[in-house]
Amino acid sequence: MAVPSVFLVMVSGQIESAEFPEFDDIYCKYCFSYGLDWAMTSGLEESITQVTKKSQDQYKRFVWNFPIDATFKSTSPAGWPQLVVYAYGLDAFGTDVIRGYGVCHVPVTPGRHRLRIPMFVPESSSLLQKFTAWVLGRRPEYVNPRVVAQGEGREVTRVRTQGFLVVSLNVIMKDMKKLGYDVLPSDVQNPTIPDSVTKTTVGAS
Amino acid sequence: MAEVHVIGQIVGASGFPKHSLFCKWGVHCGGAWKILSGLREGQTQVDNPESEDAAYFAHPIDIHFATKGIQGWPRLHFQIWHQDSFGRNELYGYGFVHIPTSPGTHEIDCNTWRPIGSFMESVSQFFLGGGPHLKNPDLIYSGADRYRLQTVAMGTVHLRLGIILRNFDKFGIEC
Repeated sequence: MAVPSVFLVMVSGQIESAEFPEFDDIYCKYCFSYGLDWAMTSGLEESITQVTKKSQDQYKRFVWNFPIDATFKSTSPAGWPQLVVYAYGLDAFGTDVIRGYGVCHVPVTPGRHRLRIPMFVPESSSLLQKFTAWVLGRRPEYVNPRVVAQGEGREVTRVRTQGFLVVSLNVIMKDMKKLGYDVLPSDVQNPTIPDSVTKTTVGAS
Repeated sequence: MAEVHVIGQIVGASGFPKHSLFCKWGVHCGGAWKILSGLREGQTQVDNPESEDAAYFAHPIDIHFATKGIQGWPRLHFQIWHQDSFGRNELYGYGFVHIPTSPGTHEIDCNTWRPIGSFMESVSQFFLGGGPHLKNPDLIYSGADRYRLQTVAMGTVHLRLGIILRNFDKFGIEC
């Protein structure tokens, strides 16, 4: 039987809700960011939710209940997909301004995961810029939202965390074990030692 | 060769005196280990949060190791720095944590500490900032000369790491 060359990761979930204590009228967009070994086989790469107002009770939550469905294939776990969510809201003058970027990896274990991710915005460099941004409605934004999914170049950014987003993701994988990858501790409980291994040195530094 | 994938993020930090923070992180591993892809060190964004109880970095970590032996399992080490409104940086803590050895998703809290000097030095630190730093940052993750240090506890770094292992069961390793 041929060993498969790719494994599949399927994510189905939703952008559930968010807390932004100071703002109202918010909508989200999301996109996936993944490495060069990965390809998306089905689902939307990017999408946009409805605009919602916060709840009238003491919790003041924004609820979208927005579905996320995506399937990825890859030959290697490096570059594992990340979900980048960015929320926009209306400011006092009625323009769309960015209210937060958030990022999380698609979980690497199959099952249901409910994640609360912080949402942050880039900060203006000076007080004058902050005032101009507030007056003109042009707040600092990232040119490419996928930059929050990368590690390089983050050290020069200053941000402000303004809220949290709750996202729940159900993950299924196919053929990871056939390619030798273990994602759960129970996978490693039945070790087998093939003959070829006794001829090589293993375990000693 | 056995392989380890570390896929996750440095979520944030809490429990520090002030929360306008950034984190410098790095990975250190033994001689049998090799990094096939991914950054081995970096520095996160500076977060100045609205709510003052925690700073959030959301800094992705995606490292692919290959190894010929289990000694020298990799560790992540951190330096948490505070940046004030004038842009000055002050060291707030050192910490390290081993990459988990079992596959799955792990939520990890790493406690941090910082070195303190004499009484006069801590008085001057209170008014002027600054304070002692480690001359050799290897001491963050090694135990060799630690007995010389006097330290005080600082806050906690929060991580969410997913670990995928490959071929460990073929070598008879149980983890």
